[in-house]
Amino acid sequence: MALKALDIYKLLPKKNCKECGEPTCLTFAMKLAAGKADIEKCPYLDEEARRILGASTKPPIQLVKIGVGERSFAVGDEFVQFRHEKTFNHQPGILVAVSDLWPDDRIQDVVREVRDGVLVRIGTDLRLDGIAIRCESGSAEEFSRAVAAVEAKADLPEVLMAADPVVMEAGLSVCGAFRPLIYAATHENYQGMCALARKFGCPLTIRAESLESMAELSALAAKEGAPALLIDPSAATLSDYVKKATAIRQNAVSKTVPDLGYPIFFDTTVTGMQDAALALGVDKYASVLVCDRLSIPSRNALLTLRQNIYTDPQKPIQMNPGIYRVGEPVRDSPVFLSVNFSLTYFTLQGYLEASGVPCYMLVVDTEGYSVLTAVAGGKLNETLVAESIKKTGLESEVDHRTLIIPGYAAPLSGKIEDESGWKVLVGPRDAAGVAEFLEKEWKK
Amino acid sequence: MPMKVDIISEWTGEIGEVTIGATKKEGGSRCAAIVIGGGSGFPFLGGSAPGRKPLIAFEFCDDPKLWSPIVTELEGDVVNDAGDWAARVEELHRPDLLRFYLTSTRRRGFQDFSQLRRTVEEVLERSTLPLIVEGSIDPAIDSETFLCCGEAGEGERLLLGTAEEGRYRSVAAAAMAYGHSVIAQSPIDVNLAKQLNILLRETGVPHDRIVIDPYTGALGYGFEYSYSAMERIRFAALKGDEDLAMPMISSAIDSLNIKEVREADPGQRGEMAVKWELYTAVSSVIAGASVVCVRHPETIVPLRSAIDSLWGKTGGGD
Amino acid sequence: MPAVTFLPGFRKISVEPGSTILDAAQKAQIHMNVVCGGEGKCGKCIVFLKSGRVDFDRKKFGRFFSPGEIDEGACLACQTVPLDDVQVFVPENSLIQEQKILIDARGIETEFNPAVWKYALELAPPSLEDPSPDLTRLLWGIEKSGGPRENKIYVPLEVIRRIPAVLRESGWKITGTVTLVPGGYRLIDVEKGDTSGNLYGAAVDLGTTTIVVYIRSLIDGEVVGVASNYNKQISCGEDILSRVNYARKGGLSHLQSLAAESINDALTSAANNAGIDLDDIYEVVVAGNTIMTHILMGINPAYMIEEPYVPVVKRYLTSSASRAGIAVKEDAGLFIFPAVSDYIGGDIIADVLASGMTESEEVSLLIDIGTNFEVVLGNSDWMFSCSGAAGPALEGGEVLFGMRANPGAIEEVSLDMETLVPEYRTINQIKPKGICGSGLIDLLAELLRACIIDRTGRINTSISHERVRTGRYYPEFVVAWKHDTGIEKDIVVTENDIKNLIMSKASILAACITLMNQAGIRREDISNIYFSGAFGNYINKENAIIIGLIPEVPPEKIKNIGNGAIEGANIALLNRKKRKVLDEIARTMAYIELNAEPSFMDEYTRSTFLPHTDLAQFPMVEELLESCRIRRD
Repeated sequence: MALKALDIYKLLPKKNCKECGEPTCLTFAMKLAAGKADIEKCPYLDEEARRILGASTKPPIQLVKIGVGERSFAVGDEFVQFRHEKTFNHQPGILVAVSDLWPDDRIQDVVREVRDGVLVRIGTDLRLDGIAIRCESGSAEEFSRAVAAVEAKADLPEVLMAADPVVMEAGLSVCGAFRPLIYAATHENYQGMCALARKFGCPLTIRAESLESMAELSALAAKEGAPALLIDPSAATLSDYVKKATAIRQNAVSKTVPDLGYPIFFDTTVTGMQDAALALGVDKYASVLVCDRLSIPSRNALLTLRQNIYTDPQKPIQMNPGIYRVGEPVRDSPVFLSVNFSLTYFTLQGYLEASGVPCYMLVVDTEGYSVLTAVAGGKLNETLVAESIKKTGLESEVDHRTLIIPGYAAPLSGKIEDESGWKVLVGPRDAAGVAEFLEKEWKK
Repeated sequence: MPMKVDIISEWTGEIGEVTIGATKKEGGSRCAAIVIGGGSGFPFLGGSAPGRKPLIAFEFCDDPKLWSPIVTELEGDVVNDAGDWAARVEELHRPDLLRFYLTSTRRRGFQDFSQLRRTVEEVLERSTLPLIVEGSIDPAIDSETFLCCGEAGEGERLLLGTAEEGRYRSVAAAAMAYGHSVIAQSPIDVNLAKQLNILLRETGVPHDRIVIDPYTGALGYGFEYSYSAMERIRFAALKGDEDLAMPMISSAIDSLNIKEVREADPGQRGEMAVKWELYTAVSSVIAGASVVCVRHPETIVPLRSAIDSLWGKTGGGD
Repeated sequence: MPAVTFLPGFRKISVEPGSTILDAAQKAQIHMNVVCGGEGKCGKCIVFLKSGRVDFDRKKFGRFFSPGEIDEGACLACQTVPLDDVQVFVPENSLIQEQKILIDARGIETEFNPAVWKYALELAPPSLEDPSPDLTRLLWGIEKSGGPRENKIYVPLEVIRRIPAVLRESGWKITGTVTLVPGGYRLIDVEKGDTSGNLYGAAVDLGTTTIVVYIRSLIDGEVVGVASNYNKQISCGEDILSRVNYARKGGLSHLQSLAAESINDALTSAANNAGIDLDDIYEVVVAGNTIMTHILMGINPAYMIEEPYVPVVKRYLTSSASRAGIAVKEDAGLFIFPAVSDYIGGDIIADVLASGMTESEEVSLLIDIGTNFEVVLGNSDWMFSCSGAAGPALEGGEVLFGMRANPGAIEEVSLDMETLVPEYRTINQIKPKGICGSGLIDLLAELLRACIIDRTGRINTSISHERVRTGRYYPEFVVAWKHDTGIEKDIVVTENDIKNLIMSKASILAACITLMNQAGIRREDISNIYFSGAFGNYINKENAIIIGLIPEVPPEKIKNIGNGAIEGANIALLNRKKRKVLDEIARTMAYIELNAEPSFMDEYTRSTFLPHTDLAQFPMVEELLESCRIRRD
């Protein structure tokens, strides 16, 4: 239960000394409640207050870094069960599995795909994250060969998957300096694995069946000095995974079982339903996902879902207002009014491109709200439209004076005409209808 | 050191149930009367029973010109006759429900309501699955369209779509007059969903005749908001908010039209469409949707396996 | 140079070519109604062209006129440039009209501790035996009469220069006036004879629209004169942003002198009524919003309206009245209230002081409603504040027949639940010309109770009743038929008006709830809701709750503090100890930036429903509406 500003304020010294950098204790309390300040900045806290406040601001799930260099990633550091409470922080790493039974070139085909494959969405490069090297040979030599084959092609984060600490050490002796994730310590081998994690300074995955044994094992591993941990709930089915992952997250964020406060590892290859397992892993708390080689469609859908789930649902992504061109518009090309909510923009832009008609988009600043909410909240109004037409110099770009507005903005059509002097055509409510609309309504 | 980890569950609310379809015995002609919703837990959260198994609805229409060519090309000529298409879907694709869009009403100046009635009747004759009917999207013809659909399906316990803030009276009136239920769609916001349900309740539509459509944006095009809207709606219901305690229907209707799918390599376009629908639908059921809708026939099989794996083959948990 | 003749008064004025009719009106001291600051957006400054040629785009601004008005030659004064000599008729509605100005400062209960004292002295003349200088002689005299220590009193050079003559011409019988300044005292005047009975101070509420002054005796605290008038800056734009814009375009010193002039006019009429001389006013205390006080002090307010919205000063200011152009005693003290932020200014701090909410552990909510609103939540221990834009709907803007609380405004409405016939009362009981904020709130509540609108404010057009009809753009409800009005038009409220009102009320309710959530306060924990300002005074409390303008509390917990700004200024004038309290309030009040608060938009959406999406937060309203629905069915 997050503390409210006033609850925190009651614990503060109320000296208004400004030493924390805030003008008053109350503003400091507000910042603390919002997670925007560090409790350590207050020099006058008593022990009791420090205990209560320290506990409420420390992340309940450990932050773990995997790999080194440009493609390395961090997971954990999560605070909430549901993303609408306060967004999810670190998206899961997705690692594609290779086997040490495979020849080098087969391994390296996968490595190249992960290294070079990219999906560009909303101006962001989306990529898979790394390689999971699985020991299926049982041989330390084969395992280290496979690791070396991966290392030869790319500096990608890795998971080394081997049950025998001797085999694991062989792999680590190749890449241990690059902070690979060790998989996995069980109740049987944890001492050996922990020793390796300690020696190479690598994060370690523990694996157990029940919540109780996971908590027990994580406590043991921590005692053995493993620097950073992940938990594999060893789920064999989708429902088993979702149930266990949900329970781990719940006990971690509520701090009922601090020993479960580690990021979750999910090997989706064992479920036999890789797409569904990956989707569920992204939705439900996985921090490291291992999968077999993905088709382009699966990869794109997966990366897009991950981008979606790890977007803060409370913050609309905004575009810069201005004139945008679709294709190569000319002086009599149609002009579409749109808002600076990126989703609205990209959707409309996509359909306009598809229509094959070059045109202009006049994107106005509605503070990132969609057409519907911007009309309702008064953020999209005739003054804004008229001013944007003037400010952007639209009138010198085109010879006509006709503006196509979104269907949901229809109530503003008269006012926009009055205010801007432009003729207004009401377009479709759904961007999917723009091609048809252009065909029927836009005649020169 | 043996220890016991408790699973936390702290809510008391229950999700209401809505029945779709009526069998012969009940005065209709459907093969089953399907109950959706119910249950008192978040899927898999807090160790509670996952509730009823979500169902898959297949979407089709009466005017294929307004449908994705990815589907119409795959389905072939059958798409030109709604009755034929309905029969083929039921026999070949085997969804749990049919969702029939009267896209013909979207043509400019549409007035042919008698044809509309015949089309709905034909679909009902050629199929036996419980039916969802999507009427007009133009307030000017709402009243006649919904009365016409409602009357054609009298006794069949249809699910009629779609009520929105500002145009809910026509569809509500048709549903109440002919014994159907209503889809209440609001733009990706838990509060707006609740407001519409209150408005419907105050118009006389009881809670057990409302299905919430929180509007599902396609993956990459709004799904980031839809996913949390669904979670919030379900969560509010479990905390006891009766005005949100209705089952949800999720349909990412844009999936086949978005850039990533449309511009995919022709050899991969079909698979891209399927994956896009699959990832969205799987995420929707885990966020609490009771009915997920798809348009690509090939999405149904992997989606059903995933749902079976989650809820068990027979439903109600494994 | 073209000349403009204003009818009906036939005032004629010449203006530079290119000037607008509005410029001419300002020059002629005709105060036109310009809500938007002369940008052609509000359509309030209508004039009718009777002769001559003008440049005016009638097509562009046509939406502001009825067809009849266009036939009569309607123009907007601010957008019309005379091309040669013209005659225009100015209708009464286009002039700033007398509004209800709230001048009432309730009987104030505070300790009497003024900050100015007079000492009537009879000094011994100097002699060879007692050669101490004039000034020392005077200051010792003050100290001996119980005044401050001689070495604590600062004396301005201007006063020193006057001392020798005054002392000698009065035969060493004089009165010295001392005021408190930071770090000590200041001798502000020396007069001949005993004038100790003539000691007055002024409290000023410097509002964006109106100015209220109180003159009080600083010997016993009694009120001797009260006056109010308009802020003359209105001719530079009605709302606060247009003033800042005016200042930005080089108009700061003009605005400053208009502010001083407005205060002086009010002081003059109050002093005349009291039969006192302005020169007998020795201290002036001013409470105003942050922008108004910046302008009065000649400080550029422009940076406050640009990100990151920083005022130049927040602490209280002391200076001499004459430096701000206030025509009281030369060198009289001037105390300017402190501020918390750009929007939480001295007026709100004065409200807080006047409400007494800082004196109790009970939690109170204070709301000041205008185009912008301010909300303060707190008690003696802590205080949160926020502000936002409510939009002009509650002041009659953006509403087709909305108007300010001027004569002819419908200020109270009730509907007969059977016949749907409205019963209304107008200000000054004349034929209605429009509807003001309190009337709109009543109307919204009544339409909801009568089930004419649903909870999102949509009119149920399936109701067949002559008053429920579809207008040019939107469905509407007829409040008064043409033949009953003073404007020869049906007065209606449209669905669009209702939407605008709901958005306004939603901002205010969402702000209240956001503060409450931030503090972890439930509505049951609130002991008082204070309305300050003119708006709160005329509002129907039950209806404000029915529409969800404020959280539901038992109506007896809602109190009007009237003009809290003038009351606070009076308290600070009478009791200098309270100035420390003001400072304390200003320094410790936390300000929450609603735009940076992610939950605010969520709360706003929840509040765009009548009364609120979470009906359980309005149990009494729900009971009431339920019974209304049953009756309708």
